[in-house]
Amino acid sequence: MERRQFLGAVAAGCGGCALARPDGLEAEPFQDPFQASRPLAAEEGGLNPVPARWNKALPNGWVECGVCPRGCKISEGERGTCGTRENRKGQLYTLVHSRPCALGLDPVEKKPFFHVLPGSLALSLATPGCNLECRCCQNWEIAQARPEQVRTMSLPPAEVVSLAKQKGAPLLACTYTEPVVFAEYVVDIAQAGRKAGLRTVVISNGYVQEQPLADMCREIAAYKVDLKGMDEGFFKRHTGGELKHVLETLRRLRRGGTWTEIVYLVIPGQNDSEAEARSLARFVRDEVGPETPVHFTRFHPSYRLQNVPSTPIATLDRCRSAAITEGLRFVYLGNVPGHPGESTYCPACGKPLIRRTGMAVLENRMKGGACPDCHRTIPGLWV
Amino acid sequence: MSPSRRAPIDAGRRRAFVGLAASAAATSPLARAAEAFLPGPEPGPKSAPSRAVVAVGRRPGVLAAGGGLEPKLLADGLGAAVARAAGEQTPVLAMRRLFRPKDVVGIKVNCLGGRGVCTRPEVALQLAAWLQAAGVPAERIYVWDRTDRELLAAGYALSRSGVRVFGTNDDGWGDLVDWGPSASRFARVLAEDLTAVVSCAVLKDHYIAGASLSMKNWYGAVHNPNKLHEEGCAPFVPALSAHPLVRQKLRLNVVDGSLGQCHGGPGRVPRWAWPYSGFLASTDPVAIDRVGWQVIEARRKEAGLPPLAAENRGPRWIEAAARLGLGVADEVRIERVEV
Repeated sequence: MERRQFLGAVAAGCGGCALARPDGLEAEPFQDPFQASRPLAAEEGGLNPVPARWNKALPNGWVECGVCPRGCKISEGERGTCGTRENRKGQLYTLVHSRPCALGLDPVEKKPFFHVLPGSLALSLATPGCNLECRCCQNWEIAQARPEQVRTMSLPPAEVVSLAKQKGAPLLACTYTEPVVFAEYVVDIAQAGRKAGLRTVVISNGYVQEQPLADMCREIAAYKVDLKGMDEGFFKRHTGGELKHVLETLRRLRRGGTWTEIVYLVIPGQNDSEAEARSLARFVRDEVGPETPVHFTRFHPSYRLQNVPSTPIATLDRCRSAAITEGLRFVYLGNVPGHPGESTYCPACGKPLIRRTGMAVLENRMKGGACPDCHRTIPGLWV
Repeated sequence: MSPSRRAPIDAGRRRAFVGLAASAAATSPLARAAEAFLPGPEPGPKSAPSRAVVAVGRRPGVLAAGGGLEPKLLADGLGAAVARAAGEQTPVLAMRRLFRPKDVVGIKVNCLGGRGVCTRPEVALQLAAWLQAAGVPAERIYVWDRTDRELLAAGYALSRSGVRVFGTNDDGWGDLVDWGPSASRFARVLAEDLTAVVSCAVLKDHYIAGASLSMKNWYGAVHNPNKLHEEGCAPFVPALSAHPLVRQKLRLNVVDGSLGQCHGGPGRVPRWAWPYSGFLASTDPVAIDRVGWQVIEARRKEAGLPPLAAENRGPRWIEAAARLGLGVADEVRIERVEV
């Protein structure tokens, strides 16, 4: 598929399957632009080898990847765990730069970011690959695949920016899979976006080393971390990674001053105890900040957890209450359309500030980043 | 068609094969030994064979000066190993014993390391020639690996007629299968087309798994090998080899040791490559990997390298595979036969 066709498909896709928004704009899930495309085997496997950043050479032509805490040591011809970084003659290449496999125009609430330009559109994209393997992965077809196994399209950062401007999206979102594995692309998109007056947000598992995180945070506006659990054993079983690295990322985000929101997917019988919710809340309160928004989201069966039922609403309510009791100021529920826990309330006077349902903003009463009634400042990126 | 929907068909084929093999097993003690490992029911301690034969055919000089293989020495060494593994006098009889003419046979090669450290095309094609001589039509023999690109880099000529040579490539992966330690898409050719398979691996070191031999070769039959390297591959190699798509179709294991590599793998590091000039064959995937590991360790010692265990990468998955009932890991119960 040529880029022009692809962009045409974006435009066409944006005309259908619209999600009505109260301000009259339309946020449209992007339609599959690849339906008519041919397999990419004839297109160099859809790969775009670009020298990778954040790595160091080892003896015998090996390379140590420095993007995520796995620190994969990669021999000639091999790839790291994410499947997106390949050693070619002693040089590590990212194979996914400028090769998104998913592209959408979403409300920022879908990410979810509730304290970043509420009601705004985010041009959202992903490349294939992930450095974890969560048993509930919602996008496993693209996140758990190697890049050549997924249809992709060439979309350099400048094209991303121009597409966002064309669609009236003030935000660029690196999301759906794991932006850490395409961190070079994230940085380049964010730089190009910043020059054009657009902000970039990252939706990540937080499994990232210090330097690439710092380099991303210099360019982006906000970082959302999917905190999968608060128990190291569960985290290992569920994702294959180590929780301590994600907690360290959250501390680094706090120290660096990057706007951060946290999502905790509540999985019945696995990470849904009140004790875990309290543990999470205490960690956030003490080490990230009590004003950090935390979203408890509802699990639905997916990927390898097909036999686990959806999260009962009562469980989510219990988690939310526990987190509020522990001192968090902005605790939300997700994937529960119409629940009062989707809305933002002033921690001082308790009045609703932003009323939401699903991914739509029904009412935004905020004035200059503060409560219009008691003038309490509400943290976030509001303008 | 999903692999799970094919399972009953595979089970039927297995029963037919077991019956065939059982009748042949009465012919010789060697044959009975080779019968120790047969595609069987779901893995478990009761299905573990009691002993195994691993035949090693070494022919100094098989690796020619130009990098190719001497055809006569190849046929002699590999043929002797394959024949002995199956308890027969010739490789053609061995193939006749292990495969039926109506089988669709896949020879899974390993080309990741490129021309220097791969299953040599001559080896795979020699096996294909014996299969044909045993009555399997050429068009029912597939030599395959992950991608066309890797096959080409290893010196294979792709073919869509006669003996097929091809890669699974981007679009050749089937439905998602949860196989315990991970979930993968298996190559459609394995899940849907093949009725019998040969693991035709390489004698080489692997910096995480310790060694990459016959069982680890199946990493190339799933879409996400990069996700299967935690804990020295110990949870993954046995479970993947135990999956019915592999286990119920596996008839023969061959390790190409014409040029081995004792360190720095799985990619090619010429410094650690050496001409072992031999071929390993067995019907037992665990036993052949146990012997292959011994060969690598011996070479490491000669080269002044520490044992793999000292580098915290001893192939623990071999014992784990034995515990699953996939074969024999105990040296005492492995008959290593130089032929």
